[in-house]
Amino acid sequence: MPADKAKNAVAVAIHRVSKRFGSVAALDDVSFDIMRGEFFSLLGPSGCGKTTLLRSIGGFEAPTAGDIQIDGQSVLHLAPYARPTNMIFQHLALFPHMNVRDNVAFGLRMKRTDAATTARRVEEALALVRLEGYGDRGIDQISGGQKQRVAMARALVNDPAVLLLDEPLGALDLQLRLQMQVELRRLQRQLGATFVFVTHDQGEAMAMSDRIAVMNSGRIQQIGTPAEIYERPVNRFVATFIGHANLIEGRVAEQRADGTALIDVEGLRVAGTAQALAAPGASMLAVMRYEKLQIEAGGNASVAGTGTSTLATVSEKTYMGAALRFVCRPGVGPTLTVDAPNTEAGRAICEGDSVRVSWAASEINLLAE
Amino acid sequence: MMAPEAPPPRVRDPYRFWRAALLGYAGIFFLFLYLPLIVIVVLSFNDSDATGFPMRGLTLKWYTRVLTTPDMLAAFANSASVGAVAAILSTGLALLLGLGFRHELRGKSAVLNLIIMPILLPGIVGGIVLLVFFGYLGLRSELWTTVLVAHVNYVLPFAFLTLYPRLHRFDRSLEEAAMDLGARPWAIFRHIVWPLVRPGVIATAMFAFTLSFDEFIRTVFVTGYERTIPVLFWLLIVDEIAPHLPAMAVVIILVSTAVSLAAFLIGRRADRSA
Repeated sequence: MPADKAKNAVAVAIHRVSKRFGSVAALDDVSFDIMRGEFFSLLGPSGCGKTTLLRSIGGFEAPTAGDIQIDGQSVLHLAPYARPTNMIFQHLALFPHMNVRDNVAFGLRMKRTDAATTARRVEEALALVRLEGYGDRGIDQISGGQKQRVAMARALVNDPAVLLLDEPLGALDLQLRLQMQVELRRLQRQLGATFVFVTHDQGEAMAMSDRIAVMNSGRIQQIGTPAEIYERPVNRFVATFIGHANLIEGRVAEQRADGTALIDVEGLRVAGTAQALAAPGASMLAVMRYEKLQIEAGGNASVAGTGTSTLATVSEKTYMGAALRFVCRPGVGPTLTVDAPNTEAGRAICEGDSVRVSWAASEINLLAE
Repeated sequence: MMAPEAPPPRVRDPYRFWRAALLGYAGIFFLFLYLPLIVIVVLSFNDSDATGFPMRGLTLKWYTRVLTTPDMLAAFANSASVGAVAAILSTGLALLLGLGFRHELRGKSAVLNLIIMPILLPGIVGGIVLLVFFGYLGLRSELWTTVLVAHVNYVLPFAFLTLYPRLHRFDRSLEEAAMDLGARPWAIFRHIVWPLVRPGVIATAMFAFTLSFDEFIRTVFVTGYERTIPVLFWLLIVDEIAPHLPAMAVVIILVSTAVSLAAFLIGRRADRSA
C-alpha cells in the first residue's frame, strides 16, 4: 500500500444510488461512505440489495441513479477491467485450466507487468496467504481452504484500492469458515487495505467488521460498529435480524429524567432506555435480548413497580450447551425468553418452577414504532 | 446354544417371464438393426461379380478397386475437403451464435426457432429450394460454391444445437473474474473462454464433418461435375449394381464411425473437465 494513502479518508463514497430491475428497486436511494483501511460489511437477508451494491462498486451492475466514487473519482463510466477494485467471487471463479501461479499472475499479466516483477509479486502474494510452494498445483489438486487463499492472492496481488468480497466463505464448513474469518481479518490488518464484505451471516459480520451496514429491501437500515448495532438497534428489523430478542409492544407510562422510560405491556411494566423522548401514551417497542435477562429460582416481588423484574413460571426449558434457554410466563404480560449461562444454579431450574426474571433498564432498548 | 439356522427360503422372481420376454425383444431389435450391416461387410469380401449371395470365396479385390479407382479417390477428396471446410465454417458460426445467445436479447426465442427450422425442412424440399435459389443467383453448380453453401446451411443448426448447451453451462463468473482482473473482451475470450470450450468446439466440428460427409439429398440437387461420395454411390447404384458397392459402403461406414467416435470421446472428456 502506498504510504500517501492516509487513513481517515473516504475510500468509497456511495451517493444516492438506486438500482431498478423493471419495477423492483434492488437499491433505493442508498448513501454512505466507506473509510480507507476499514473492514466494512454489508449485512442483510438474501435479496436485500447487498450483492447488487457490491457488484455496482466493482462495475458489474450499473446503478439507475446516483454516483459511486473511489478515492474521490467517480467510477460509474469505467468498465470492471478499468476500476481500481478487485473482487473475490462467491464461488471463487478460479480459472480451472490454469495452475495456482497462473491464476495469481493473471491480473498482472493483463496489465503487461514485466515477467520478473510478476514472478516476484506472485511469490509474495502466495507467501502472504501462506501458500508458498503451491504455485505448480492445479486448481483441482488443492483443498477448499487453499482455493480461498488462491482467490485472495489473485485479487490482492493487484494491490486494489478496495477489495470486494461476495460471501466467499459461504461454501465452507463451520471450522474452516471460522479459520478463514481470522485469516481474512489478519490479511486486512496487515495490509491496511479497504475490504467491503457481503454476508448474510450476522456472526461473521460481527466478528470481522469495523463497521456494518445492515440492509433490507434495498435500503440501509443502520450503519455502525458491531457493538452499536447490537446494543442500540434503531428499528425492529435490525433488532430481529441480529441476535435473539423478545420484542414487546407497549405504551409509555412514564418518561424519566435520566433517559429511561417505563412502558406498560398488558399490565407488565418494563423499564428501558429510549433513544428519543416519547410522550406518555405513545406506542413503543421494547427490545429485550434473551441473554440480557437474568433468571433466578423462587424470589419475591420486592422490587415490583420499578419495571426491572417480574415473577414468572418456567413453561419450557431447552439445553443448548453453552446456554440454557427458558421460556417464562409472567403473571401478567407476554411470554419472556431468557438465555442463561450454563451454571449449576441454572440447571437446577425446571419446567413449572416459579422464578424471578430481571433486567437492567440500561440493557433494554425502547424504540418508537 | 441356538439351533443352527435353516437357510432363508428362496424368493421366486415374480417377473421372470417378463424379464425373458424383454430380453428376447431386445435381441430381435439388435438383430434387425445390425444384421444388414453384417451382411454388407460379409458381401464386401465376396469373390463374385454379382452383388449378393451365394459366397464364392473371399477376396480383397473390391477394396483394392475402391481405393485405386480415380473416380472414387476424387469423390473421397471432394467429400473430405468440403466436409472439413463446411465443418469449420458452420462450427465457427455456431460458436459466434452460441456466445451471443448467452446474453439477453430481444426476440431471442424467435431467432432461435429460425436457426433450428431448417432441421424440420424435408431434405428434398431443401434441395429444391437451394436449386431454385442458386438458379436465380445465376450460380453454376460447383463443389466450392453451391455444394459448400448447401452443406453449411444444412449442418449449421446441428452444430449450434450441439455446441450451445456447452456454452450455456459455461460459468459466467469466470469471465467476470477475468474482467475484474483487467482483461478486456478479446483477452477474456482468448485466455478464458476459448481454452475451456475448445474440446467442445472440436467435437462439434467433427460431428459437423460426418453430417456433411454423409449428406446426399440436398447435394444431389446442387452438385456439378465434382461428385461427393454419396452422390457417386447413388450413380453407381442407378447405373449398375457394381460388385464393389459393398466394399465402398464399408469404407464410408468406417470413415463416419471413426470420426463420430473420436468426436464422442473428445466431447466426453470436455464434459468431464467442465
